[in-house]
Amino acid sequence: MSAKLNSKKSKWALDFNVSKNADMPSPPGYNPTALVNQTEVVRDQRLVIKKSWDLALGPLKQIPMNLFIMYMSGNSISIFPIMMVGMMLIRPIKAMFTTQVTSKMADGAQGTGQRIIYILGNLANVALALYKCHSMGLLPTHASDWLAFVQPQTRLEYYGGGVSFI
Amino acid sequence: MDFLQSSAGTLISLSLLLLLSTCSGLYEDQIKKFDWRSVHVGSLKHAYVDLNHFQPRVLLSTHEQVVGSLCPKTGEIIWRQVLEQKPRGDIKLLQVSGFADDSSDTAAAPMGSHLGFDMMTVQGHAPALVRGWNTNIGTIEWEWSIMPLNTERAQDAVWFYSNSLLYHVVPAWRSHIEVTAYFATSGHTTGSTSKIMAAWINPESCLLSGTFYICLDGKQLISLDLVAKSTQVIATSLGAEPSSNIQDLPGLNGGLIVDKKLISVNKDQAICSDLTSDSYIVGSFNNRKVIAYADLINSILNINAVYLDDCSPVPELHLSVAFAEHYGTPSLRSFDCKSKRNSDGKNCLFLFTTTAESIVAVQQGRVRWSREESLANVIDTQFLDLPLADTEGTLENEMRGKAGDIATAFMRRITTQALQIKSLFLHVIGLGPPPTDTQRAGLVRDSFGLHKMLVLLTRTGKIFGIDNIAGKQHWKLYLPNVAGFENAEQMRLIVQRSSKHFPLQPLCAIVAKSVDTGNGVLFRFNPITGHAAEGGLLQLNYKIKQLALLSETEDDYVKGILILDGANQVHVEPKHATPLAHGMYLYTADLKTAELEGYFVKYAGGELSSLPIWNVRLGGHNSEQQIISVASKNPIEHVHSQGRVLGDRSVLYKYINPNLVAFVTQAPDATHKTVLNMYLIDVVSGSVIFSMTHRKVRAPLHIVHSENWLAYSYFNDKVRRTEITTIELYEGSAQANNSVWSSLQAPSMPLVERQSYIIPTIVEAMRETITERGITNKHVLIGTASGGIVEMSWHLLDPRRPISSTTQGREEGAIPYIPELPLPTENYINYNQTVARLRNIYTAPSGLESTCLVVATGLDIFVTRVAPSKTFDLLKEDFDYILISIVLVVLTSGSLIVRHLASRKLLKQAWK
Repeated sequence: MSAKLNSKKSKWALDFNVSKNADMPSPPGYNPTALVNQTEVVRDQRLVIKKSWDLALGPLKQIPMNLFIMYMSGNSISIFPIMMVGMMLIRPIKAMFTTQVTSKMADGAQGTGQRIIYILGNLANVALALYKCHSMGLLPTHASDWLAFVQPQTRLEYYGGGVSFI
Repeated sequence: MDFLQSSAGTLISLSLLLLLSTCSGLYEDQIKKFDWRSVHVGSLKHAYVDLNHFQPRVLLSTHEQVVGSLCPKTGEIIWRQVLEQKPRGDIKLLQVSGFADDSSDTAAAPMGSHLGFDMMTVQGHAPALVRGWNTNIGTIEWEWSIMPLNTERAQDAVWFYSNSLLYHVVPAWRSHIEVTAYFATSGHTTGSTSKIMAAWINPESCLLSGTFYICLDGKQLISLDLVAKSTQVIATSLGAEPSSNIQDLPGLNGGLIVDKKLISVNKDQAICSDLTSDSYIVGSFNNRKVIAYADLINSILNINAVYLDDCSPVPELHLSVAFAEHYGTPSLRSFDCKSKRNSDGKNCLFLFTTTAESIVAVQQGRVRWSREESLANVIDTQFLDLPLADTEGTLENEMRGKAGDIATAFMRRITTQALQIKSLFLHVIGLGPPPTDTQRAGLVRDSFGLHKMLVLLTRTGKIFGIDNIAGKQHWKLYLPNVAGFENAEQMRLIVQRSSKHFPLQPLCAIVAKSVDTGNGVLFRFNPITGHAAEGGLLQLNYKIKQLALLSETEDDYVKGILILDGANQVHVEPKHATPLAHGMYLYTADLKTAELEGYFVKYAGGELSSLPIWNVRLGGHNSEQQIISVASKNPIEHVHSQGRVLGDRSVLYKYINPNLVAFVTQAPDATHKTVLNMYLIDVVSGSVIFSMTHRKVRAPLHIVHSENWLAYSYFNDKVRRTEITTIELYEGSAQANNSVWSSLQAPSMPLVERQSYIIPTIVEAMRETITERGITNKHVLIGTASGGIVEMSWHLLDPRRPISSTTQGREEGAIPYIPELPLPTENYINYNQTVARLRNIYTAPSGLESTCLVVATGLDIFVTRVAPSKTFDLLKEDFDYILISIVLVVLTSGSLIVRHLASRKLLKQAWK
């Protein structure tokens, strides 16, 4: 903190007292304990936490937007809906893998909670994208998707015969 | 809104139809590329060889109701007219001007006049049609008809021609003969019908020879000259009662063949009665009448002739010809010589018909040409893979070899390849082993399995091995004294071992009935070479009631034939496969009583026995129902897709019961005229799975049964049109047992979808396409009465076609229901190659999944291939290999050059 102040001082003012007596008593009414800027530190930390929360809640905030995009793009399988669904699916997954980087900023007291919220938000986005894939029919969730792999039944009985020859 | 919806629906259905219809069709340059047709006339009935006409010709009529003209030099058809079906088209008389029995023939008339005729035919009995033909181009010049008063009696009517008059002879058995004379070309009657009392006529032994009506009565012949002024009955006594039927001698008035001898009932006609021969014919040589006769002795055909007036032999006409065994026994039908005067007999053409229904022309001591007319009656076909080429054969052997460890397998592979290189080297320098017979004939399997041996079994017992691509007949075999079974059941052609088991040769069998004893006959042969195999002909000592092919094989890969005999005993051929028959099921159907019997075959203690396990009576409450059709599934069929995807993406599983057989019965009905019943019966358990009744509906019925569906065509008497009903069976949304199918623990009754369609044509034959693995869509091939074969997509016959255009149906891919089935011309797979008298269509898989081989039989044979889902596994034949390779080379070299240039430019920039 003091270093910060010093740098401020050196930038804007010449200190004539440095070479002279440094042990001069403080002026009356000066309270050295009051010099520590408590409020500023508290405000900074709150800001960081707020910022981190913003980051953590970002994916959750995207959900209504994504829902709207999903609604607008429709269920038809064409290039734009596919691209959108692809982006919706890939972005949160990418974001989740970069969690370490983003959470360095949120090393504070609420770091774990934020991280969980962030991951949950991303997962919700992934789920949303999967739901979209499902409603577009891109997921093999129906019996018909596995029909090609159903083996024909082996027959146990064999028969012969027909119209009598006599 | 409603209107909009419906119009949208129609639009969609129309566009779907358009899409479907663009799927098939042939390009102009593909005509005759994949298909061939062979044209036939049928077995000979009447024939006249005429070499002295300004256009030499062979005029003929056949048992298939065909009249035609052949080229005497090559035997090719100059023209052919296929007449109406029996009984209307049954040819009773073929009269060619200049070939009348008596010499007073004046029928030939100047060209362009309507007084004479070139050739005249009489066909049918009610009405009887008399037609005059132009023999040069085969057109009808004139026609008249008579409708007899008594149609039943007219069935036995006979006709003869004498002195420009055509006589209609109607016998009333054991009573009298009615004779009416007509002017041949106009149809005007000459007067009243003369009734001749003749109590001695009977249907068994009467015939007409020239103008004489002759009946055999014990040891004597009673005859009557029908054109004589006085109706005088002539009795001619024979030495003994003849052992065979009497035959007339064409070309001689009152001439008869009795026990291989000639007899004349005509007092004015001398005959050489001391000749003995199998077949005689009267002709003229050097302006004298001669009798030619031919006999087959030890595969040598001897032709001799005598002058009719003094019975002295005609040495010029003597011929001895080596006669191939597969023709059967010949019988002389007609002969003619090129010049009437001072002929040396070298240009005489003798025309024979044989028991194998071939037409053989003999000239100058050799068989000049022959026509295989038994192919007009094909009753069964099989496609067989050709043998492997040597190199592929060794590879196949290697693949089959019992896999040891990797080292031995590797060693084997290396040695095989070394041998291959060695044989290739030897082949290049011309020291290789000589190619085998089949290889020399070009009979080697191609890479796509499209080249196969087509084995055709005909009604007479003649078997043909034909190349399915070129249409060449590689071998012919004739089985004399065999016939089809009772109940119009034909002989069977069975593949006992296919070509897949290299180096073992394929094996086919023919199951037939012996003409002499009525017992069963088995003939085994190699379908590639046409040689008898495994002992060839085997006479069984029992009657065959039914048969089955065993599903399992011994080490020799020969599928045994399980035979149920008349006493319900079971036998297996070959004998050593007997234990494998245990657990088989058999059923028999009695057409008349509509009773079905099911048997279980048991092998215990070295004895094979059949156990009756169920019976079903389809006769109805008054036992009037008769089975008119039985349809089972193709035993080699594979079903790839086990279900159908619905609009909501759930699965409707197919009810694929391999033991399901469809039976159709028909009975007259008081209120509905006729009633048709259709039953689907599991022939292992005997349970009736489904049944349906059609009222006011009757045969002709044609039926196709495959996978989980059934389609049958019938004639609707109420609205007088042909309709097709289709049925699909589904198990439901879940499979009861997804690994095995047992009819004895069968799932509950299937769901049935059904629908009827109108087909605006007469159906003569129906068959489904079949492919190797069953992945390709199934189409139904419909043969029409006009000789066309239409490829009908199952999408159009689908019973799930929705009545109203719903989104569900649309998402399922079903076309909205339209009752009429479209028959676009591009769906006719035989374009203009009409198959006359189309009787049956056979299909077989090829080596390619997309392609199915088709042979349509009738009077003609048409062989082609179809690709129901287009040739998805084959490059198009017009695929531009050159363009593709040029583009590839140019692109690769271009990129290399550009890379070099780019690096140079970078270098230069760096120096700047």
